[in-house]
This record gives sequence, C-alpha cells and structure tokens, in this order.
Amino acid sequence: MTMSRPPYEDAASPERPAPLGDAPSDGPPDDGPPPDTVSVTAADTPVAAPPPAGSGGTAGSEPSGDLSPVGRLAATVERLRREVRAAQAEAEGRALVELAKGVLVERLGCGPAAAARHLTELAEQAGVTPLELAVDVINQSAQDRLSEVTLGFLDTVAGRARAAEDAEAAVRLRTAESGALAAQDTQAVADSLLQHALGPLGAVAVAIWAAGPDGSLTLAGSAGFAPGESARWHYVPPDVATVARRGLTERTGHWVESLARTSLPSIGRHLFPDGGRVALPAGTGGRIHGVLEIVWPAPLVPQPPQVVRQMEALAELCAHTLETSRPPQASERPPGPLPDATELMDLAEGLHDPALVLVPHLDSAGGLADFRIQHVNSRFLDPAGRPRAVVNGALLLEAYPMAAGESELFQRVERVYATGEPFRARRMALTALVDEVALAATADISISRHGSCVLLIWRIEDETARLASLLQNAQRLGRIGGFEENLLTGEITWNGQMFALYGRPESSPPVPLERLAAHAHPDDAVTIGRFLRTLLHHRRPASAAFRLQRPDGVTRHMRVVAEPVLDTDDRPVALRGAYQDISSQHWTEVALAATRDQLAHTEQQAHERNRLTLQLQHAIMPPTHNTPLEVPGLQVAVRYRPAEEEQLVGGDWYDAVRLPSGLVMLCVGDVAGHGIEAATSMVVLRNALRGLAVTGAGPGQLLSWLNMVAHHLTGAVTATAVCGLYDPARGTLRWARAGHLPPVLVNGEAAVPLPLVKGLLLGAVPETRYEEGELDLATGDTLLMYTDGLIERRDRSVEESLSHLLSTARTVPPTLDQQLDRLLVHSRSDTDDDTCIVGIRVGPRTSDDGEPRDEESRAGESLHA
Amino acid sequence: MAIAHNPLSVEVSLPREDVALVRVEGHLDLDTATEFQAHLANQLHHGRKHFLLDLSEVPFMDSSGMNIILRVYQEARELPGSVHVINPTAPVRRVLDLTGVSLTVPISEKVDEALALIDQGLPQVEAPDS
Repeated sequence: MTMSRPPYEDAASPERPAPLGDAPSDGPPDDGPPPDTVSVTAADTPVAAPPPAGSGGTAGSEPSGDLSPVGRLAATVERLRREVRAAQAEAEGRALVELAKGVLVERLGCGPAAAARHLTELAEQAGVTPLELAVDVINQSAQDRLSEVTLGFLDTVAGRARAAEDAEAAVRLRTAESGALAAQDTQAVADSLLQHALGPLGAVAVAIWAAGPDGSLTLAGSAGFAPGESARWHYVPPDVATVARRGLTERTGHWVESLARTSLPSIGRHLFPDGGRVALPAGTGGRIHGVLEIVWPAPLVPQPPQVVRQMEALAELCAHTLETSRPPQASERPPGPLPDATELMDLAEGLHDPALVLVPHLDSAGGLADFRIQHVNSRFLDPAGRPRAVVNGALLLEAYPMAAGESELFQRVERVYATGEPFRARRMALTALVDEVALAATADISISRHGSCVLLIWRIEDETARLASLLQNAQRLGRIGGFEENLLTGEITWNGQMFALYGRPESSPPVPLERLAAHAHPDDAVTIGRFLRTLLHHRRPASAAFRLQRPDGVTRHMRVVAEPVLDTDDRPVALRGAYQDISSQHWTEVALAATRDQLAHTEQQAHERNRLTLQLQHAIMPPTHNTPLEVPGLQVAVRYRPAEEEQLVGGDWYDAVRLPSGLVMLCVGDVAGHGIEAATSMVVLRNALRGLAVTGAGPGQLLSWLNMVAHHLTGAVTATAVCGLYDPARGTLRWARAGHLPPVLVNGEAAVPLPLVKGLLLGAVPETRYEEGELDLATGDTLLMYTDGLIERRDRSVEESLSHLLSTARTVPPTLDQQLDRLLVHSRSDTDDDTCIVGIRVGPRTSDDGEPRDEESRAGESLHA
Repeated sequence: MAIAHNPLSVEVSLPREDVALVRVEGHLDLDTATEFQAHLANQLHHGRKHFLLDLSEVPFMDSSGMNIILRVYQEARELPGSVHVINPTAPVRRVLDLTGVSLTVPISEKVDEALALIDQGLPQVEAPDS
C-alpha cells in the first residue's frame, strides 16, 4: 500500500476540523505549487498486512486448486461472497457517482444526463475511473477534512505512477463516508469504517463509543470483535479508566503501542493482547460525542501524519453519526424525569422564546393522564396573560383546558412524547381562557422530546400577547371588551366580549372607532368627538363615557379607553383599547355598599365592646365624686380616669371599703393589658380582694392569696396592686404591695413615697410572700395610692416621674378632692392609659376614734416582714 | 415628645450548651417587646434552659418588657431552668425592684456570677411558709 501527502499538509497542521460536508469559506487549498509527494511504501507501514476485506477490487486471492467437494463448496461460497462484495462495492461506488453528478448539476447548471456525460468524459481525459473522478469532484466540492486527506492522492492523478493506488485510498475514504451517511445506525457505521477505511490501514476491529453526559461510555457500534464481546462491553460506567475513556479526554487521542504494556482494560483485549490501540475523540463543532477506538492485531509504531489525519477524519465521521443517532441504551434508562428535566430546564432558560418543560403525569393505573408543567422559563408568556407562578407546576390541561380542544395542542404533545418525533408548526391557533372568555392566540409551536420530558416552545405573536395581558387586566375588573384597529390595513380585531357588549353577532363586522358616534346616543356626540380628537389628532391615550345604543334597542352606559400605537415617526399605525359596560358597575356599587355596611357593623361591634368595658369599669368604680365611704375622721376620695382611646380602657381598679372589723381597706391595682379581657380580670381580682379582706387577714396575706387567684383563676395575667388596711381607731396603716408603686405620704410641704417593701407582682408565680409596712398617720396627713397611668413616661425613669408627682402633691389644696383633681390635671404621663387614684386624708378625730396624733411624718417608720 | 426609637438589637451567644446569653441594646417597651420575646422563644425552642439577660444597654424598660422577662421566667421554671438579669441600668433595676421581679429573677453584675448561681442550682422560688 502506498500513500502520499502534499507538502502543505504538514503533520503539525493544527486546523480545527471542519464539520463534514460544510464547505469552508476560503478557497480550495489545491491552488498551491504542484505537490511533491512523499511516498510511504507498504513495507514501511508498521501495521500488519491488510485483511482481504476490501472494496476497491483488492479481494482475497482465489482459493487453491483443491477440487474436493468440500473445496468446491468453499470455492463457491468464496465466489458468491466475492460477488456480494463486488455488488456492494458497486452499489457504494454508484452512490458516490450519483453524489458527484449532483454536485456537477449544481455547479454547471446542467441536467443529470449532461452531468453523467460530463463525468465520463472528464474521467476519460484524466485517465481515471469515473468512480475516482466522482470522489475528486466530491472532494473539490466538500473541502472538508476528508478532502484534505484525499486531495493528496487525487489532484495528482494524471501521469503519476502510483495514481491508481492513491486514488484507491481516496475512494476508500469517500466510500466509508458514503457508507456512514447511508447507515441507519452507528453499528452500520462501524461495519462500513472497518471494511472500507480501517481494514486497509491494517486495523482488525473498531469500536464506536457514545459518551454520556456523566462521562460514561456506551458502545454504539463495533466490528471485528468476537461475538459476545460487544455485549460484555456495552456500557462503561463513568470514571472507569479504559483505553476509550482516555481517548475521550486527550485531545489528540490516546495511542497505545501495545495493550500488553498498559494496564488499561479494553474491549477485545484477550483477542489481541499485545495489539496496538488508538482511541480518538469523536467530536464535531467543539462537542465530543464519543470515541473511535481502532484495534490492530500487532504492536503499533508511530503513524505517519496522513494516516493520523485519516483516522481523525474518520473519528469526525463517527461524531456525526453519534450526534444524530442515540445509542440504544438511552431509551432503556430508568424513567426518572428529574435529571432530564433539570438539564432541560437549563436549556429552556437559554431560549429566547417562551418554553415549558413538561413531564408526564401518570394516573393510578400508570397510564399517561396529563403533563405536569415542571418549569416555565423566564421568557414565558402566558397566552391568557397570567403570571408565571400560576402556570408553573400546574398540570397542562388544568392550566390550558382548551389545549385538548380544537388546537389539539395536548394531542400533539402526547404524540411527541409517545413517538419522540418532534412537532413544529407555524401560526397554530391556541385558545386561552381568560375568565372563561375564550381568547384566540396565534403561536409558532415547537414540541420535542428530551429523555422522558417534553419541551414545548411557543412564540406568541407580540401583539396577541399584549392584547392578552390587556384583557387579563381589563376583564378582571369586569367583562371588558378589547379591540385593536390597524390604521394601515383597516383590519379590526375584536374579542368575543366586544360583540357581546355591542349586541352584535360575532359574524358581523366590527365597528371602527371613527364610526362610534353612529352607535351612540346623539347627546354624546360631542364627548365622542373630543375623545377621537385626543386619540387620533393629538395621538394621546383617551377615554370617554357614552351611551351605546345597541341594535336590540337596549342602551348601555359604556366607557371606552384607547391608545394609539405609534411607529418610529410618531405616526399612529394602530389603535387599541377596551370598552367597559359601566351600567353593570351599578352592581359593583351595590356590593360595595353591602361591604361598607358590614364594616360599619364590625366597627360598631368593636365600639360596643369598648363601651361595655367602660361601662364595666364605671359600674364597678364610679368615676368621680360620689365617695362610697363614710368614715368618721377620714376623708376618702377616688378618681378613675379611663384612657382617652376606648380600646385602651383596661384593667385599673381601686377600692375603698370599710370592713366588718371597722378597718378601712384601700387598694389600687392594675391588670396588664387592655380591653374587655383585662377588665374582666380586674373584676375578678377586685372582688376576690374584697372577699378575702373579710377574713381579717393582714395585707401581706391578702396579696399572697390574691396572687394565687391571679395565677390560677384569671388565665395567666399579671397585675400589680397595693393594698392597705387603715385602722381609724389607732390611726395606723398596714400595707403591702405586689409589684406596684408604693403609696405617697403627703405631710404639709413634704411628699414622700413609702419604702419599697418586697412584693412580686401578682400572677407571675404560683405562690409568693409579701412584706408588710406599717405607719401611723397624723391629722392632716394625706396618703395617695395610684396606678402608673398617672406618672408613666417613656422618656423618664420611674424616679423622675415620681419626683414630679411628689412636687405636684406637695402643694396641698383645701380638700382632698381638689388635690386628686390637681394630680390628674398636672399629670405628666405621656401614655394614654387608665389612671386610678385613691386618697385618704386624716381629719380631726372624733372622741370615739381616740386621741389625735402629732403631725410628723412617719413614712417607713416600721416594717414587718 | 422625643421618642428617639432606636431599633432593638438582640444578640445571643451560648456560653454553654444550655445557657443562652442574650445581650439586649435599646428600649424594651411595647414596640420592641415582641421582638425580644421572639428571640427568647427561639432559644427556648432550641432547648436552652438558662437565660442570662444582659440589660446593661437597656436605658428603659416598661411593663411590656418586664412581662417578657416574667414569661421566659415562667417557661424556664418548668424545665427546670433559670433566668438571670445581668448588670441592668439604674432605671431598669428600679423597675425590676419596683415590680418585685428582682425577688424572683436574680440580678448579677457579671455573667460569671450568674453562671456560678446556675452551678449552685439556685432554688428558683423560696417556698412559701404559710
């Protein structure tokens, strides 16, 4: 075997392989200097002698003259085989000649007969067979990678000694290509490659691997291996190092001189244990689709560049086949939609058209019921104008019930899913439902299956989508008719609702805006004139209300809004807008009024609750001067000021009651929170304390019990309280507090708070104890108990607030009532909170009350734990 | 009326697995109590038993804030756990004393003191004797 190469085809030439069949833009590379061929004789080639399988007339030798019956049979079989091969070769050759004829028809602009004649004449002139010339023609035309290789042989056809052999090599490659193109699957390609191209190079077997996205390899086709070997090697999982796997990652392929010197496993290793191997990446357009693995029976020495290039060209050929036909294993993959879907979702995101990724949705019997819209891409535009989130994740028929109807969209998707055959259509009519109003949209549709998912792409005509979104918004507001008028063509588009509003059959022609006045009440002519002027003359959006007189005699109050669509020169090219029947707004107003009534009712309820709270407070604690208590020698006054805002009325309370023992119980308290709940708790605590006080227990004990009441009976409220028992006979006060501000003792010019005897607020813990204080009150002494509504300020500490209170309290008005009023008036509280004050002032005692006491202050005089 | 409302800042660290040290900065009042409570509830949810509330940066606390402390105290007591207030400002200290909460929720100057109290297994409530 002899091969030659032109000098410009240097081995180091790093051009990227052009895709097979794509003509490069630059001119044919054969217009350089006459190639000086370098020959490699058959003896130089390191590979073993080519096997008899060949197509270019290099059939095996005749069987020997053994004429035994067996020998004759063998001879017959061999002859028949040869004939079959020859027929095959002829057929393949014919395919190439036909291809060349086609090229000539296209080039010369002649008919097929003329092209055939031309081909014969040219072949005669050049002294080559028509087949060789055909290959030459194809090479000239294709200018692909194969051409580079074959040109080296063919452009020197005339007068070269080795021309015939060179041409044979060229024919071989083209034959392999032709066979590969005609092949239905990768397996046929493998057969064709081995027979036509690789066999002559000394290779004995070939494997074509398809690369999976995960790096796995699937045997897509093989030839020359022992039976069963391909089944054993049908799949190589990812990350398993084999010769082919190496070939996937190495740009120039993986060359193994002898399998014996590598530990890499590979297909057919036991058959050719020390044979050479080459694994070449099979890629097109920068994408590797798989690996071409070529097997030699003997060790492989470095190959001449043109052989390398031939093999690279063949690998590229494989890539085309791999790209277009999927390995058989692909369809056997378990039907897990997720990996497919994720990949497809990424793909969908890259599209400029609205795309939906659909996954089959099976019913309980495992049959296909519907498709789940797994993903809609960011370009997604709903024909019904809905936001993406509404559609994402829904079932196809739920989101688009009309898909099962006339448009047959669903059936198309179903069929594509079933057969894998993609579906494409332009201007397909889709029907979307907008609030049960059918809206026709036109879209270009593309449906294709990917793994177990279906990709549905639609390109909705822009205007349609805009109208849809207009409608979506409009119809939500209430049955609006949308229209569009093309001012250039005069074409008018109305949706179904428009005809209904106009009371016209859908078959009737739409009414142009300009003729609106003719359908309106005469009195509205001016309004409509102004509307049209704004729209058409000033080219601004406009709206008008008018009375539409329908053919059926009904008059409807309508509102029309419209805007002009301007071209780049600001000329109106279209008008679009909507009509709304505002007669029906009457009903909206009725509904609104009903809502308003209900709201008012709710407000009234809230108001009543607040009033109830207040009434409760008032019933229990009369707000002003009607002092409930007549105790000789003691003035008692109380004040209750409810919060100004009713809903803040809450849980403050006071009490002043004369007990059976003759002692006077004084108390103020404050339940945390506001409203009816706080008020009820207040009632519970106030009444409880009254009841408990009858037992005659001291204030500490009373609060301790009251704490239990608060903790257990009032539903975990907390409250503060201060409780005192005044003994009019002795002029002494025993008191205790539960987290409450201590009472203030006013004596002449001095106002001091009583000491903070220990006591936790009520309700925080199940049981606790309260320290008691005791002091003697002298004539003229005033004692004040109050809730923090009197003093609380956000921007002051308790001390500061208290000191203000004390300074107010120091000036003693003539009566206790006046003093309490004054405290309320000058309160510097900034919280609008309930406020309670209880005050007692010790007057001159009557004789039965005992001796008058001196007047010094005794605050904090004695304390009892 | 100047109510300069600084937003409440609550920072939680874990000196120990079951101890949450909650540093609060800002006013604890009706507006911020809910946030404060959410932080504490979250820590309760995560299984903390002892709560050290550092109130050294709380210039003001009203009854809402105090009720949150009481609530976490009630929750912690059930576990059983404890609540400690660390280094409160004078106004806050005053409120705690006034309401008697300081009788129940121990106040410590430093975190270490509170941790020591936890180690001693301080009785949460003195038993009533009547």
